[in-house]
Amino acid sequence: MTEYIELHARSAFSFLEGASLPEEMATVCAEMESPAMALLDVDNVSGAPRYYLAAKTLGITAHMGAEITAEDGCRYPLLVENRRGYQNLCRLITSMKLRAPKGEARASESELREFSQGLVCLTGGADGPLAAALQNKSGQSCIDRMIDIYGRGSVYAELQRHLSRDEEARNQAVLALARSNKLPLLATNGVCHAAPAARELFDVLTCVHHHTTIAEAGRLLARNAERHLKHPREMTRLFADLPEAVSNTVELSSRLAFTLANLGYRFPPYPVPDGDTMDSFLRKRTEEGARLRYRPYHGKARRQIERELALIEKLQLAGYFLIVWDIVEFCRREGILVQGRGSAANSAVCYSLGITAVDPVGMELLFERFLSEERGEWPDIDLDLPSGDDRERAIQYVYQRHGQRGAAMTANVITYRGRSAARDVGKVLGFDARELERLSSVVPHWGWKDPAVSAETVFRDAGFHTENRRIHKFLELFTAIQDLPRHLGQHSGGLVICQGLLDEVVPLEPATMPGRVVIQWDKEDCADLGLIKVDLLGLGMMAVLKDSIRIIHDVYDEDVDLAHLPSDDPTVYDALQRADTVGMFQVESRAQMSCLPRLRPKRFYDIVVQVAIIRPGPIVGKMLHPYLKRRQGLEKAECLHPLLEPVLRRTLGVPLFQEQLLRMAMIVAGFSGGEAEELRRAFGFKRSEARMSEVEVKLRQGMDANGITGDVQDVIIQSITSFALYGFPESHAASFALIAYASAYLKCHYLAAFTAAILNNQPMGFYSPSTLVKDAQRHGLRVLPVDVTKSMWECTVVKNEDAYELRLGLNYVRGLRKASGESIVEVRTRALFADLSDFVRRLPQLNKEDLRCLAEIGALNYVEAGRASHRRDALWHAEAAMRPAGPLLEDADAHRELAPLAQMRLEERVHADYKGTGLTIGRHPMALRRAELNQRDVWPAASLKHARDGQWVRVAGSVICRQRPGTAKGFVFLSLEDETGISNAIVTPDVFDANKLTIVGSPYLLVEGVLQNQQNVISIRAQRLESLAFNDPEVRSKDFS
Amino acid sequence: MYAAIHIPNATAQMSSELKLVADSFSPLVEITSVDTVALPVTPLRQLIGPPHQIASEIARRAAERGLTGNIGIAATPDTAILAARNLAGVTIIPRGGESKYLGDFRLETLPIDIETYQILDRWGIRTLADFSALPDDGIMARLGSAAAYLQHLARGTADRPLRPATPGTSYEERFELEHELSLLEPLLFILSRLLTELTTRLNSHSMATTHLRLTLELVDAAAHERTLQLPFPTRDARTMLKLLQLDLEAHPPAAPVSAVTLAVTPVEPRIVQNGLYVPPAPEPEQLELTLTKIRSMVGEGNAGTPQLLNTHRPGAWRMDPVITSESQPVLRITRDTRLAFRYFSPVLKARVELRDSRPSRLFADHLYGNVIAVAGPWRTCGDWWTTDPWDRDDWDIGLNNGGLYRIFLNRPAAAWFVEGSYD
Repeated sequence: MTEYIELHARSAFSFLEGASLPEEMATVCAEMESPAMALLDVDNVSGAPRYYLAAKTLGITAHMGAEITAEDGCRYPLLVENRRGYQNLCRLITSMKLRAPKGEARASESELREFSQGLVCLTGGADGPLAAALQNKSGQSCIDRMIDIYGRGSVYAELQRHLSRDEEARNQAVLALARSNKLPLLATNGVCHAAPAARELFDVLTCVHHHTTIAEAGRLLARNAERHLKHPREMTRLFADLPEAVSNTVELSSRLAFTLANLGYRFPPYPVPDGDTMDSFLRKRTEEGARLRYRPYHGKARRQIERELALIEKLQLAGYFLIVWDIVEFCRREGILVQGRGSAANSAVCYSLGITAVDPVGMELLFERFLSEERGEWPDIDLDLPSGDDRERAIQYVYQRHGQRGAAMTANVITYRGRSAARDVGKVLGFDARELERLSSVVPHWGWKDPAVSAETVFRDAGFHTENRRIHKFLELFTAIQDLPRHLGQHSGGLVICQGLLDEVVPLEPATMPGRVVIQWDKEDCADLGLIKVDLLGLGMMAVLKDSIRIIHDVYDEDVDLAHLPSDDPTVYDALQRADTVGMFQVESRAQMSCLPRLRPKRFYDIVVQVAIIRPGPIVGKMLHPYLKRRQGLEKAECLHPLLEPVLRRTLGVPLFQEQLLRMAMIVAGFSGGEAEELRRAFGFKRSEARMSEVEVKLRQGMDANGITGDVQDVIIQSITSFALYGFPESHAASFALIAYASAYLKCHYLAAFTAAILNNQPMGFYSPSTLVKDAQRHGLRVLPVDVTKSMWECTVVKNEDAYELRLGLNYVRGLRKASGESIVEVRTRALFADLSDFVRRLPQLNKEDLRCLAEIGALNYVEAGRASHRRDALWHAEAAMRPAGPLLEDADAHRELAPLAQMRLEERVHADYKGTGLTIGRHPMALRRAELNQRDVWPAASLKHARDGQWVRVAGSVICRQRPGTAKGFVFLSLEDETGISNAIVTPDVFDANKLTIVGSPYLLVEGVLQNQQNVISIRAQRLESLAFNDPEVRSKDFS
Repeated sequence: MYAAIHIPNATAQMSSELKLVADSFSPLVEITSVDTVALPVTPLRQLIGPPHQIASEIARRAAERGLTGNIGIAATPDTAILAARNLAGVTIIPRGGESKYLGDFRLETLPIDIETYQILDRWGIRTLADFSALPDDGIMARLGSAAAYLQHLARGTADRPLRPATPGTSYEERFELEHELSLLEPLLFILSRLLTELTTRLNSHSMATTHLRLTLELVDAAAHERTLQLPFPTRDARTMLKLLQLDLEAHPPAAPVSAVTLAVTPVEPRIVQNGLYVPPAPEPEQLELTLTKIRSMVGEGNAGTPQLLNTHRPGAWRMDPVITSESQPVLRITRDTRLAFRYFSPVLKARVELRDSRPSRLFADHLYGNVIAVAGPWRTCGDWWTTDPWDRDDWDIGLNNGGLYRIFLNRPAAAWFVEGSYD
């Protein structure tokens, strides 16, 4: 029986006011054999789910509470006694947060009173209300007020002992007040970190919180390292003179009956017409949908749907499906493209309801991956929507449907990582700007990190003296701060919906975007606590598809129905086989391009495989090459065991998808669907040794029973377990493949519309607009420049006789605000511009820089009706027009028709294009250097296909992509663009290390090395790299990990 | 005609040499920048000869002083400066021939602001010839009069009067002694005279000083330098003399004095306007004199205003200068009085016997006894990021001799000390 329970502890979720993660605190508690602990973070309960789950695993009772900041700045430590108390705490936090700007929330006394029931209030430590009152000699009135708010039995006189004189003097005053008011005493340690050693990190966080350095923080820092979780014995010894203060902790703990296990969350029911239940209504909608989807509505589909509906009914999930269906129906009514992704695509009910677009029956997808009885979890349905306004409309619909307090976005906990950690720690330790820049530049920010290399090695290699005390401390703290929460952000699309008031389940906070609220828990926490979440994700390519369809309808006068695209279009497959895929969804990356000519997709399922195969799972699991070899007939397509033939046949015996490993477990070991899903989770990201070995034993037993033993058993085990970590769900791949096919179809058949749409939805995808435009031009698209007399705000397609041409929009003019761009269009619609003066006069909202930029990119060349001028002509006249010269000089130029400036040369025009729009529709900068490059025997990208495998070649181009994937063991991949196309180079780790600055810092590179041509996949194995010192514009590169 | 002399990468020393070279030709010398000077050469025609001879003479005198650089001679100062800065050796530009010489210069050679430069760059204007070719009224209408002037510069037609440097006021006085002095009193006479000179000058310029620099040149060729930083601006010669006297008494020179240099730094004088409700304080001059006397007795750094440092480290403070400004914080006396504490300096080493982990007996120099009352430990630790961290437990103890003491345990060293006593 313990003597003491800690009832006042902050975690790192107090955001810079606590230094340990909740899990660490729970672990220390368990090590001290303490049966419970109360987590009271400052103005939030963000750490509560993680603490609750960790505590549950460790057999500790996780008491809930929070420190609430009042208007006078004092912190009221509140403990939750029961569910009512929890609801009140959540509503109190919500109320104070929603009426104040972010970071300035303070609870008023009326709010404390309104939401006081079910809460126990402690008088607090140094920053508590009683300490402040004692300073003003108003301790008694403070006690009176607290008793008035929380009731006599729910106020405890809190005593903390951190071995400080002032604190002890205060304790004596508190003690006297407690005695005279007959308040129970309560010993706490006002914990801010789990172990004493974390005090240094706590000091650093304090400095970050107060925007100061450690040298200047002075008395802001902790006086000592006593605010850690202390052993009950130590606390008993500290309070040996006040045993009741210690014993009361145990008594109060027994009073605190609430944990997050009885959260009281309920998903809202879906309103159905009289005479219907949610189940019957869902059944009707599903059947209606199934008849449209399945033509004919065959037996296999009927049986699957029936099975799913029965399970949905049993698990009482009809409401959830109907609510998602309702969102999808809204999108459909409003013409918003929507498609379910993720495991929902395994469900025939989802397919019938129009939530997903992949037929799981036809594709033999595994329903259990989505929903199973054993798992006892809510299913997860993610909806892809066009990013931007459409997605916002869908989100607003959900708010409107369920009320402001009935739905909210999930949070995203922003944690300290790499550079942010280096910057904050370095600043606190007083490193100057130059040193800080150097320190943070050492932290790898993109791509691969060698797991064997410690932070210390990285910094030592970069020339830092790690034995230097300051650097050494920096390294220690830099390592310690990793993964600690920094602040709360907003998740990209997760919406939590609740019946009744969501703010009784979890506190809500205002989001940065007006009208949005965010809950204090992140996506994982919601899943762990059984909160149902619908992800409304913005997908750039969905917006591209939607915009393409609109343009095709408006300009081509054709209607494209994505649901009924021909599935065997030869042009699409030809482009895919040639890896001619710039701009296409999911198949455009360098890695995808290097695989496509080998995989040579011939049908839709090949695209599903293609989408899934360039993933860490197949690559790390060494499945990629066997699959490709088998596909090319270089290796026999054998299955691991004859029993697995039906599962692995379509992927040529190589497991590629998560569903396959589930089915493998079901077949070879007799697992149920739910057990198989459990296996996947056991070996998934949150893997634990105990759970893995438990599942493995079960798997082996099952295989033994089925007569699968020996080496085969080992190979199957190996294959299942290694793949569970990274495998990609087939359903998800199929959903993405549909979008990939659609994007490829639109690019191949409606290039102008597709290019306009993708340019209007930047940033997205793998390539920059300049690469997209150059690729489109190489495919024969005529691209017209920005012209204030013709361009709209967005890029548009214009019909010119039989050809469709792309007109660049004003959105590509660097620095031009949307409102200004739209007013150009609006003003010119009323009347054409007479000349530049007229243009400037009618558009006062354009600033000087706007006008100069427009002139410089040639967008003002045609302002004067019937007369074309050149860019410098426009610059000259624009400059005069924007500066009223006064009566003396206003006629200064009247006698001069043309500007006295020389026309821009070709190179100057290209330079101005990149500078002003980030792209050029003119010649590629490399084309201007071709003669010089020819002299140096540099091969144009397009001619590399004529080079021999093994031939020594030189290529050169603007670097459009640098990539150092985690799966490539330090290899770097470069994509270089010239006027003829794209060439790829592979840089080995040692060559990279020797040429790091050149590779990372040069916009134009010359690469020399051995050409590799493997089944038409051409790359250069770089041996020598040279920065090309052209005075050319910097073409933006996209760098990825 | 004007000549400009430009010494690339001139140091401060070279800069003053350059000025001397120019001064040797004309009393009207413009110090255009640290590396360039300009002067009129028309009057030199009669003395030296045509421009190329003038240039040769300038080059010769510059070489004598170890300077090598460029010389430009032109009809206007700016053209001469442009030529000297951008053309190596000697360049003589005849009137009317400016464009031939300046035309190829890059636009950056003009003193041009960044916005105008960017506009011209966008126009494709790279050289002064390009710029010169643009119509005057067009430039004036678009870029204003500043750019129009630049255009004149580019054409070599911008004329302006030279801006010769005028000698500034010096606040330094030097006195060379015929016979060396080894006594303070006669030295004070000299100092008094110098101070009177300097304070008169300060007075005439409505200035005061907070900084005196005294340099005594000694017979052994060494120099004895003293600097006095006053906490208030003054021009009271008597006070300064007294302060110098006290300082020299505390820090006498090591050898007889052969020359005296006294310099003051001029600052805005003090505005003497005391607040109606500000309690009267001693005259700052008198206070400073008193403090200087105290400092000379107790040593530098041992007199001033003690200032608690912003740290939890026990007993951390530093000595600040006495604040004499009107913004002096008013001492707040709270009714929450505490025991006064008397620090032992240095702290006393001690041996402490413990019972139940609490001090029970104390043994230190002249101080020992049984502990009859104890409070603590009061633990502080910090400065963990420095090479001087601390970690200690303080105890307040009452001994059977009736005294109340603070003792502490230096935890890493496991050593006990008596820090002081409570009054």
